[in-house]
Amino acid sequence: MATSTDTLSKADVSIDQLLERPWVTIVWDDPVNLMGYVTHVFIKLFGFSKERAHELMMQVHVEGRAVVTSGSREEMERDVQRLHEHGLWATLSRDDKI
Amino acid sequence: MSNFERVGDGFSLELTLDEAHILINLAEQLLELLGEGDFFHHYDSSDPLAQLLTMPSEILTPDDPVLLRLLPNAYADPEAASDFRRYTEPALRSSKQRNLRLIREELTILVDENHGGTIENLDGDIWLTALNDLRIALSVRLEIDENSFEKFELLPETDPQKSVYAVYFWLGWLQENLLNKITS
Repeated sequence: MATSTDTLSKADVSIDQLLERPWVTIVWDDPVNLMGYVTHVFIKLFGFSKERAHELMMQVHVEGRAVVTSGSREEMERDVQRLHEHGLWATLSRDDKI
Repeated sequence: MSNFERVGDGFSLELTLDEAHILINLAEQLLELLGEGDFFHHYDSSDPLAQLLTMPSEILTPDDPVLLRLLPNAYADPEAASDFRRYTEPALRSSKQRNLRLIREELTILVDENHGGTIENLDGDIWLTALNDLRIALSVRLEIDENSFEKFELLPETDPQKSVYAVYFWLGWLQENLLNKITS
């Protein structure tokens, strides 16, 4: 009996983990931050290549927003905090693509 | 003409006295708006022990649009945003205050001596971030948008807003100048 309960709860956990949606950090466009500055901050905070940072900056500029990082809620809260320290307008939310 | 130069590990900045006055004036106004305590704290607000007594039960979303832009909501959901603000806003404020206090101290040298000149051994990233916060603060007051530069150019010289716009665009030029020296 105990064995079957254990198996059931283990299965539940793994299904939960499978369904778990990651969290994402979103940077929003604003008319103030310089394009070069935004690119510089992405490289500095997240270690992106110059090309990747530039691509994300352009996505923010053209589409109005871009997902810059994804992961656990705690990690995304830290990323948002660091972006705010650098004056970028950022929020976090559950990944809404799933 | 104001200009940053890379010198060794740091940067130098050449300013006229008027430019130094403009920067120190803006830095002091923003420090005041950020609620700068006028005593030295021995412990950073991110220190868990320092938060024992000062951790408030709630920090309200700022009413002032400048503060709301500098200390924005991290979540669309008001309850999550309020929780996050309670735990993180003191550290965010103190990070901005630390940067502004540092550039204020460095500018004080020129203002005290009452002439323009060059200040040295500057931390490029701190200056870049502080200049950005000053630009953001001014941009909110001036309601800057994509068309603001054209608007500025069309303002008559007699319009009192003209000089404020001029300071805003000069700050952008100065920040870009530093950014180019950092990344080149």
